[in-house]
Amino acid sequence: MNTSLRLLLLTSVAAPALFLAGCATGVETPSGVPVTEMKADERGFVAGTGVESQDLVTVTDKMARGVLAIPEIANAKQTPRIVLEPVVNETRFPISKDIFLTRIRTQLNEKAMGRVRFLDREMMKTLERERDLKRNGQVTASADPSVVEFRGADYFLTGKLQGLTTKTSKGTSDYILYSFRLTDARTSEIIWESSSEIKKQGLEDAAYR
Amino acid sequence: MLNRLNTLSFPRLLPAAFALALFGLTGCATLPERSQPRLTGDPIIDGNTLRAAAPVQDRVLWDYRIAASALRAGQLDEAKLRLDTALPLIGGILANDADAKKARSLFSAESTKTFIGEPYERVMAYYYRGLLYWRDGQPDNARACYRSAQLIDSDAETAEYKSDYVLLDYLDGLVSAKLAADGSDAFARAQATAKNLKLPAYDPAANVLIFAEYGTGPRKYGGGEYSEQLKFFVKNSAAHGATLNVNGQSVNLPAYDDLNFQATTRGGRVMDYILGGKAVFKRTTNTVGDVALIGSIIAANNGSRDGDRAAVALGAIGLIGKIASAATTPRADIRMWDNLPQRLSFAALRLAPGDYPATLEFQDATGQTLRGLTQTLTLHVDPLGRDTVIFLSELKR
Repeated sequence: MNTSLRLLLLTSVAAPALFLAGCATGVETPSGVPVTEMKADERGFVAGTGVESQDLVTVTDKMARGVLAIPEIANAKQTPRIVLEPVVNETRFPISKDIFLTRIRTQLNEKAMGRVRFLDREMMKTLERERDLKRNGQVTASADPSVVEFRGADYFLTGKLQGLTTKTSKGTSDYILYSFRLTDARTSEIIWESSSEIKKQGLEDAAYR
Repeated sequence: MLNRLNTLSFPRLLPAAFALALFGLTGCATLPERSQPRLTGDPIIDGNTLRAAAPVQDRVLWDYRIAASALRAGQLDEAKLRLDTALPLIGGILANDADAKKARSLFSAESTKTFIGEPYERVMAYYYRGLLYWRDGQPDNARACYRSAQLIDSDAETAEYKSDYVLLDYLDGLVSAKLAADGSDAFARAQATAKNLKLPAYDPAANVLIFAEYGTGPRKYGGGEYSEQLKFFVKNSAAHGATLNVNGQSVNLPAYDDLNFQATTRGGRVMDYILGGKAVFKRTTNTVGDVALIGSIIAANNGSRDGDRAAVALGAIGLIGKIASAATTPRADIRMWDNLPQRLSFAALRLAPGDYPATLEFQDATGQTLRGLTQTLTLHVDPLGRDTVIFLSELKR
């Protein structure tokens, strides 16, 4: 009976343990996951194959360097004025389109040391209203408000995001081409253009397939 | 101690072993019961309350439900918020996920994984977000949503049913046409999918975009011996078509897509094989348990010393088998976006800016108007320069 008893005892202990192993569904990561501060150009543990912060940083850094290096900007006798036009998204990923141009603008403003200026067309309605108030004498003016001082653009900076996607049983692959160009407002010539390409792939857990 | 145990007979020990096992099992039921949230009858308020009380894995499910209710109630910011919370998760690659790993394991249900929904549910999240982007003057982001949605449907088992949403291609092409790009490929794909239903040619100058939906969508249930098969209950809704009467025009809103059809033409999932394996394991261990316990009883009645030994051994095997079987959970995940429509429609028309009284009528399969469903509404058309997106639904919640 000795062997049988041991077997029975073992069963009595092992069986609930086996069961418990399968029913530990209470609280996941009870201590939580502490907030991790990451660099914007680092890949986090939450990832997809679309546009992510590290891509934004890589692409806009490259574009800002490219714009500053072109002779029309680097050797300009008068500070060129640039207007940003919304990026066109042709990928399958909905994106916050302004964020690309905002980062390029801030990069250029930080690094160009006044070699380029951006015209704030987003503020035009507010600026026009303010000018009208000055013209009507409703608010004070430090200069003659009847003189047109809103500057015209020398260049337009815009971009386009295009993508190619492949999805098979082996996973999903996304290629995105980020292209930006600077167009002369007077001649319509494209005086600079650059692109950056990023490809990502991944396969979802079988539980989601 | 062992000597003392040695003196105990098998019939006394077997219940003790069961009792010990049951004692262990009581540990599984230790989660405190949550108090029932107080509901108001407002699907958006209640949805948010239930979302806050729901397990983290169910958040996206509530995001979906609230978004649909918010769209129908005209609370578009709420709909955007909920969809923008859900989309990064469903649009990413869910790999190395602990919940998903657990859902694949023998002893956890599939519903322990983070809910992102079946493809038709994910498609609808993108579809709804697309129309909201369009409404906000971002048609290219709307197009991105339609493209992602169509991609989600691209892995159906049968080639005929891959990426076969008519509207997703049609709207993709319409955005391109409106952005002075070439939408003809997308239109051709949409027309091929629509088969005999002739799609309206693109009018890039159309400034009013009508998104309509009617009928009630598919319901999930578990089929098979252990509910391990994900199945869909589909009922053909009364409304088969709709007509919008506005400004002297009668705008036809036929059903271009049918979610019942989409849900039931996907074919098997990878997860179905895993659940099938779990079901086989559950059945086999249960059978082994039955056989071993019966053998144990027969051996115990033998009365001999060897018979006792065999009875204990078989009892142990039977016990393990029964417990393993009971613990195996092959049940399919039937959490569902339960306020989806069955049919989707769209129309684009030209209207000058202003307010227009309108009536929306729904027709049955024979084309007869369903009297009780008619809605009267006012269409507000935005100033020219941007598209006005109108969302019409037969569903109230």
